[in-house]
Amino acid sequence: MCRTICPEGCVAETDETFVPDYQYCKGCGMCAAECPKDAITMIQEEK
Amino acid sequence: MIEGSHAVAEAVRNCRPQVVSAYPITPQTHIVEALADMVANCRLDAEYITVENELSALSACVGASAAGSRAYSATTSQGLALMFEVCFNAAGMRLPIVMSIANRAMGAPLSIWNDQQDSMSLRDAGWLQFYAEDNQEAADLHYLAYKVAEDPKIQLPAFVCFDGFILSHTYEPVDMITQEDADKFLPKFAPSERLDAADPVSFGMYATPDYYLEFRYEMDTALKQARDVIRNTGTEFGSLFGRDYSTMVEGYRLEDAETAIVTVGSLCGTVKDAIDEMRAEGKKVGLLKIRVFRPFPTEEVAKALAHVNRVAVLDKNISLGAKGAVALEVKDALYGSGIAVKDFVLGLGGRDVRKRNIREIVTQTENRQGDLFYGLRRELI
Amino acid sequence: MADKTCELFDAGHRACGGCGAALAARLVTKAAGPNTIVVSSTGCMEVFSTPYPETAWKVPWIHSLFENAAAVASGISASLAKQGRTEKVVVMAGDGATFDIGMISISGAFERGHDFTYICYDNEAYMNTGIQRSGATPYDASTTTSPAGSCSFGNKRPKKDMPQILAAHGAPYVATASIAYPADLMQKVEKAIATKGPSYIQLHAPCCTGWGFEGDQTIAIAKLAIETGLWVNYEMIDGKVTKAKKVVRKPVDEYLKTQKRFRHLYKPQRQDAEIAAIQAIADRNAERYGIDIKLPPKKD
Repeated sequence: MCRTICPEGCVAETDETFVPDYQYCKGCGMCAAECPKDAITMIQEEK
Repeated sequence: MIEGSHAVAEAVRNCRPQVVSAYPITPQTHIVEALADMVANCRLDAEYITVENELSALSACVGASAAGSRAYSATTSQGLALMFEVCFNAAGMRLPIVMSIANRAMGAPLSIWNDQQDSMSLRDAGWLQFYAEDNQEAADLHYLAYKVAEDPKIQLPAFVCFDGFILSHTYEPVDMITQEDADKFLPKFAPSERLDAADPVSFGMYATPDYYLEFRYEMDTALKQARDVIRNTGTEFGSLFGRDYSTMVEGYRLEDAETAIVTVGSLCGTVKDAIDEMRAEGKKVGLLKIRVFRPFPTEEVAKALAHVNRVAVLDKNISLGAKGAVALEVKDALYGSGIAVKDFVLGLGGRDVRKRNIREIVTQTENRQGDLFYGLRRELI
Repeated sequence: MADKTCELFDAGHRACGGCGAALAARLVTKAAGPNTIVVSSTGCMEVFSTPYPETAWKVPWIHSLFENAAAVASGISASLAKQGRTEKVVVMAGDGATFDIGMISISGAFERGHDFTYICYDNEAYMNTGIQRSGATPYDASTTTSPAGSCSFGNKRPKKDMPQILAAHGAPYVATASIAYPADLMQKVEKAIATKGPSYIQLHAPCCTGWGFEGDQTIAIAKLAIETGLWVNYEMIDGKVTKAKKVVRKPVDEYLKTQKRFRHLYKPQRQDAEIAAIQAIADRNAERYGIDIKLPPKKD
């Protein structure tokens, strides 16, 4: 789901999991909001 | 003997446009009707798009040209004004579209008759501008326009202008070039870049202040380089068809003239006749015809007029609040020469210009008389 | 068969985080595949995707002006036909470019029946110029040119029914879609492209910046629009509505409460009459498209 709905298209799929590309991630959090397994946590990097 | 519109239509047909997209407007209608008739009778192998307005007409040409097709449109006056922003857009995207302009006055007040306000008002847009003196030139200039526009050094769109009704609707003898001969002169359209899934590119992006100026510089450079391309192409045309178009200006009895008349378009014909009459009476008067208005032939004009005493510019347009467009450019070309330049705005809205008017203008110029607006009917003011 | 793992609309574009339109561009290009020429109108998507010299588009792409995408597409379509080429032509234009300034060119292109697909990403206002109202702005939404104030509840008019208008032009395939349901959206895009003639898809693309919600809620809000009946996902084949997505309907409050553009309906006090009017719009949609799932009667 995260790979499908990321507006940046920066989530790659591996055999085991999904990996975001932090070079392009804007931190919008849509992936975390939509993950059916609640498997993503957004962590604020700086104030 | 052929009507101007039909001579143009035949020339356009021979240029093998793949997409024709135009909206009818007086006095261009005979051209687009003739082309539609050709398509309907399989004499022209093109997609003919009956667009819903002129803005869409030129927009469809933008799409077609970007996708790799030679594209054609025609308009005038109100229609040209309606596609104002598309003109800048097409030039900015370096698409070599050729568009016929059957010059007509701008409203309000509404006028269907000839003057050159329409194309002159778009002289900033980055299009090449060719002006025809007669129907022969109106036809020939289309072949030239495509070849120059599509030249890899240029890649800019072109107007081919000819006076509405005066040329478009009159019958003159025209030497028609055959399809076979046209193909020898004008090769297939082969742009270096096009919309193509095999090699994707993006056309028409946005440019921040850090990038914009250089785009405009490149366009200006291309326009100015057009004089060389016009010289070579015009010479080639001459060697193939016997009519030379290598120069952007043409003198008529100018070599020993004391008074020079400078003008654009069909007026040249009337002026030449008037000059012959005046010459027979001993007056040393000549004509400098400007056939290419953009890029403006500044050096050529300066050189051609260097020896005269005075210049009368006949403008079938006016930059309201200032002067006629041609006079302003001629003055710029002659700056520092000390040669007096007098501007005459005439023929607006199709008002007839006769030989006797030309003669009067020459007299006024010699006597440093005359108003900017020639032939004003003071009883109407 | 297009490789559905490759991104034809790539990362690095300048959209706001959580942008519905960016997601739309990704999904549409994914469904369309590489043998596509995209025509964009001026707007958010065009601007955030092509800051010279960078471009997010890995398919051939052209932007001309604001109002003429359909006319440009007509020209491309004609050119390809003449050249015997197979690329499909897809327009991606915002609601401003489609409903308002582009009305003339889209009508002309559909009337002439060119073979192309027109996709309108509907974020319900002129977003790129700073959130001004468009013909797609919903009733009572606050925008900068239809602001809520002491004597106004915001936008006074309901959404223009573009799908119906284009179906009336004889378009063989018209559909609405939403980024809330990506698989459905992509299926409809494929269908539209495969249909000969002009096709229209209007897809709901919520805008966190313009509507006033946090960027991670984009999909959730798109879902609520559908669940309240304020947006209906449906298909029209040859002018007849065939499939509409059915929902167990929620009251419009649940959707309106999530967005700042409707906040004036709740603060400083709840505007019962206005909310009732919006509920009526949702009810009419439900009736017209038959979206209500009839629940079995509760057992005592």
